[in-house]
Amino acid sequence: MEMTLNVNGRDHRLSLDSRTTLLDALREHIGLTGSKKGCDQGQCGACTVHLAGRRVLSCLTLAAAVQGRAVTTVEGLAQGENLHPMQAAFIAHDAFQCGYCTPGQLMSAVACVREGHAASDEAIREYMSGNLCRCGAYPKIVAAIREAAPQMAPKMERA
Amino acid sequence: MADDAGRPTGGLIGQPHVRIDGRLKVTGQARYPADEPLANPAYAYLVISAISRGRVAGMDLAATKATPGVIDVLTHENVGQEVKPPMGPDGKPTTTTLESDQIWHDGQIIAVVLAETYEAAREGAYKVVVRYAAEAPSATFDSPGVEVEPLKANETRHDPAKGDAAAAFAAAPVKIDARYDTPIQHHNPLELFSTTCVWEGPKLTIHEGTQNLYWLKGSVAGQLGLDLADVRTISRFVGGGFGSKGAPTSRTAWIAVAARRLKRPVKLVTTRDQGFTIATHRAETRHHLQLGATPDGRLTALVHEGWEVSSRPSSYNVSGTATTARMYACPNIATKVTVVHADRNTPGFMRAPPDTPYMFALECGMDELAYALGKDPIELRRINDTQTDPVSGKPYSSRSLMKCFDAAAGKFGWAKRDPKPGSMRDGDWLVGYGCATACYPCNIGPAAARLSLTPKGKATIQLAGHELGTGAYTLLAIVVADRLGLQVDDVQVMMGDSDLPPVPGAGGSNNAASTSNVAAKACEAIRQRLAMAAVRTNAGIFAGVDPATLTLVNRALVGPDGRSEPLETAASRVSPGAIEAHVENVPQGLPPDAAAALYHGRASLLRGQSREDVTAFAFGAQFVEIRVHRRTCEIRAPRAVAAFASGTIVNPLAAHSQYQGGAIWGIGSALHEQTEIDLRTARYVNHNIADYLVPVNADIGEVDVIFVPEEDHEVNPLGVKGIGEIGIVGMNAAIANAVFHATGRRIRKLPIRIEDLL
Amino acid sequence: MRPFRYEHAADREAALQAGRSAAAAAGEAHVRAPVQYLAGGTTLIDLMKLDVMRPEVVVDINGLARQHGEIRSGPDGLQLGALVRMADAAEHPAVRRDYPVIAQSLELAASQQLRNMASLGGNVLQRTRCNYFRDVTWAACNKRAPGSGCAAIGGPDRGMAVLGVSEHCIANYPGDFAGALAALGATVDIEGPGGRRVIPFEELHRLPGDTPHIETNLAPGELITGFSVPAGPWTRRSLYLKIRDRQSYEFAIASAAVALDLDAGVVREARVALGGMVAKPWRSHEAEAALRGHPLTEGSAQAAAAAAFAQAVVHGEDRFKPELGRRTLVRALLQCAAMEI
Repeated sequence: MEMTLNVNGRDHRLSLDSRTTLLDALREHIGLTGSKKGCDQGQCGACTVHLAGRRVLSCLTLAAAVQGRAVTTVEGLAQGENLHPMQAAFIAHDAFQCGYCTPGQLMSAVACVREGHAASDEAIREYMSGNLCRCGAYPKIVAAIREAAPQMAPKMERA
Repeated sequence: MADDAGRPTGGLIGQPHVRIDGRLKVTGQARYPADEPLANPAYAYLVISAISRGRVAGMDLAATKATPGVIDVLTHENVGQEVKPPMGPDGKPTTTTLESDQIWHDGQIIAVVLAETYEAAREGAYKVVVRYAAEAPSATFDSPGVEVEPLKANETRHDPAKGDAAAAFAAAPVKIDARYDTPIQHHNPLELFSTTCVWEGPKLTIHEGTQNLYWLKGSVAGQLGLDLADVRTISRFVGGGFGSKGAPTSRTAWIAVAARRLKRPVKLVTTRDQGFTIATHRAETRHHLQLGATPDGRLTALVHEGWEVSSRPSSYNVSGTATTARMYACPNIATKVTVVHADRNTPGFMRAPPDTPYMFALECGMDELAYALGKDPIELRRINDTQTDPVSGKPYSSRSLMKCFDAAAGKFGWAKRDPKPGSMRDGDWLVGYGCATACYPCNIGPAAARLSLTPKGKATIQLAGHELGTGAYTLLAIVVADRLGLQVDDVQVMMGDSDLPPVPGAGGSNNAASTSNVAAKACEAIRQRLAMAAVRTNAGIFAGVDPATLTLVNRALVGPDGRSEPLETAASRVSPGAIEAHVENVPQGLPPDAAAALYHGRASLLRGQSREDVTAFAFGAQFVEIRVHRRTCEIRAPRAVAAFASGTIVNPLAAHSQYQGGAIWGIGSALHEQTEIDLRTARYVNHNIADYLVPVNADIGEVDVIFVPEEDHEVNPLGVKGIGEIGIVGMNAAIANAVFHATGRRIRKLPIRIEDLL
Repeated sequence: MRPFRYEHAADREAALQAGRSAAAAAGEAHVRAPVQYLAGGTTLIDLMKLDVMRPEVVVDINGLARQHGEIRSGPDGLQLGALVRMADAAEHPAVRRDYPVIAQSLELAASQQLRNMASLGGNVLQRTRCNYFRDVTWAACNKRAPGSGCAAIGGPDRGMAVLGVSEHCIANYPGDFAGALAALGATVDIEGPGGRRVIPFEELHRLPGDTPHIETNLAPGELITGFSVPAGPWTRRSLYLKIRDRQSYEFAIASAAVALDLDAGVVREARVALGGMVAKPWRSHEAEAALRGHPLTEGSAQAAAAAAFAQAVVHGEDRFKPELGRRTLVRALLQCAAMEI
């Protein structure tokens, strides 16, 4: 199938199998390997991206089904050399170890704040529970989100 | 400045530092092996067996080969002779894959489908029709047909024993006699197991997440009959290991064969369910524990017998009695371990392999004994604390166990605990407090490193180390900066490539000790060259000074009287370019061939429990609050406190994360994780991470970590004890003990679940 | 995943056109029907990757959100479009205020990413998590391969059903939202090749019996377009209690959706549905009858729970489930009675 995917503000014209997931399209065809494959079954959250501004699992999304909608991946979070406040907070709080779940955690964390689900530690924990971290960085992920949330001024945010 | 043992007395070691690879990890630029860009790759997809014992009687590949995009299929019939089987995690024979038609276990690799795309490879794999000649399999303990093998002592394996434990137990006034069970567990690192192989002429490059680059390299070279110099393994970032990527496994050589046949790169990313059977796991264990004590709480007898399941051909075992026999002062000790062979894949290393299951038994037993004696569990441990290894009689290099208990108990609020089971409540929730000892032997291996220092004060250290999340890049940057008088940002760390000097695999908590000590040694080699040149220069300010007294501080060479000269001056005296050092570090006590073996991927570790001079362990104390709903019995762990004494902590920020992560692993281990097996077929059933439960964010509340200061001058020059494993070790028992305190129910089988408490 | 033709249905007519071809292709609406509608994809894509589902045509119906993507709340009740996403329904102010059992059943399900993707129509049609169904290398699964047997019976059955099971299938229906719909007596709006129809939600799913591969009473090509939840004095006093090993992101081991209309502590009307151990969304009329007209007390709650599980069938490790189910229902009822509304 011929298709055009809009990723991080850029159009990519691709010829893909109808079976190709958004995750595989990003990783194997566009060369954006930040989004990670941790289960390919919607169970771990490592592949989380934003689709039209909402967090979704790219492993359960067909590439063909997202044409015409903006996809944002972890590579699209920073603005040039300037890290997104959430990225900076993850580094400062050591909110990761191996780093494999981190792109998904970050995309989820940014969405969690935008959704209004970061008002308390309890809410953050609940609304971040779709992102497994096998290294066990959870308390530090919560701390990072708590710190970054008020810094997520609209100007730092991509639409 | 450095003290006599070479330990830093100031500077950067021990100061928290954010990860130098943090930016790569938060921007998606950290390249894990499956992220490697490739020119024209073919994709591989595994076909795995659906039976656990028997033979492949035949395969119908017609539909697969007719699938658009499918290029080839590897089976035992067409590639079986091209590869020698890899050895198991213990370096001995293990189950095979495509070498023959034999099926040893469920989910064994039996074919590899190669295609132009991932989608076509997967479709082709689903279309393979396998005819099996199946035999009745044995699943686990008590299954008909298992072979029971009581292990014997030999040169490397001992059954710690002392006195007459049977008689002492029989005569003991207070006794605990209990049996404990731990389940099959799988590491489930978030990164799927993957392998990419690329040939350039005779040279093979393997991109694979590994905890042991040189072992993987040596193994594949041996399997394929290649010159060691022709195999390169690359693994710059590993998406979690926990032991699962410690030993070479079978898939790598087959992907190498595939890439050789296709004359193009071949990429394999396995599925989550395949990960349950193509790598290793923590085997299920059973324990019989007998503790005898005097009425005032002194242990008189310790008998610990363990049983572990392994595959048919392998006797892999963890024999954690080597730890439990050494925990407490006791005059009479007997231990024994038996392997039960079933139709299963061979188990392997998983976070604190021996200690996690075996300490569950001992530390629950100690809690039971405390109740039998009417004593506080902490006091019981204090009564039996020792500074001498009770088995060997050697001194502990350092042992701060009770300091850990006291620090953690204070922070936790142990004093508020009413010891009566079921006595504490918060609304509808029963509340329980539990604690246990954590420990892990201090291991260190031989290692090599290359270090360069420019006159401008930029250093590069190169070694084939592994970053699994431990903070290995940052750790080395800190050590080098500290020793060369630089800032952490001045140090570039290159790891994750077998073209670099070898270090042992990242396992058994040896990584920090092995790599930091070799890095310090490399720094010392450069310091010596700078110092020697300085003292031999008549015109210099250090002419005639004892070179041993010169140190590198703040980009300067500094003398004992405080006089200094800029690094640039000192360095250009030695070389107009970079000064380089290539060093090897072989800790005292290792065999003479340890360095040579290291280059072949067979690093031998100096193990904390079998050193000639001292017994070296890190210790800790772990406390947990458990809540159990009085009606529906959900079990929650809202709060944990742990204190650890692990010698020198190079980077407290990353160390805190590792300790905390270990404790969270412990919560999973005690309350969630269990691989379910169908007893009729010896097949795993819940082979996905929706059904194999690991903790999610909402399961974890406060996890406090206390660093108990400890200087250990015996364990190794830098005094680094290692921290990766110890964080999980006490948690199983602390949680079970807290569940008992909350409910009055003593659950001796993990994981503890709702149905155990209804 | 097998190759399929991807079709994007721009509107209802296009979808139903595809539905007509589906009807022609399939004799009955079985689990592995050759034409499948795609909304959120969280069940379908997963099962296609596992080779459980092998559709030849996948009809993307997300374009229908314009027609069937709204939530309307009024005096007669609540209308939920089938293409409303779980997350949007869970956060809708009227749903949260007037139908807390619905909001809770949604927010306690899955993760926010999945809730952002999954449609309400697709959610009620999610497939069992039985691993003998999900792993095609098990030859015996009557749901996947009719007549092949049931490998789950006799295996590890902690996650299996104990209510409504048959000797041919003990698979558990895993959904949460369906319990809320069942309890509140919702109806389902259906369109298909044969026209429009409305059926009670309780009649959407079928018991496994000897045809576990036919999970619903939808005809081939039929499409759920929405749900109607009637208003009632019990909807505000309602809750969803979900019991599981983890605090979040796990399917229920036991669950109860309850709604009560109390008159000075006496039950005028009770609505009860159970989950986590049921072959289909399970309204317990037995429990409701046991409560009606009685004061809501520990005793009457216990009696209702006993009635609810009187017909439970256990096999092995699942022996604890009726007891857990009873306790879950008792806790839910007492908690519901104590709600301040």
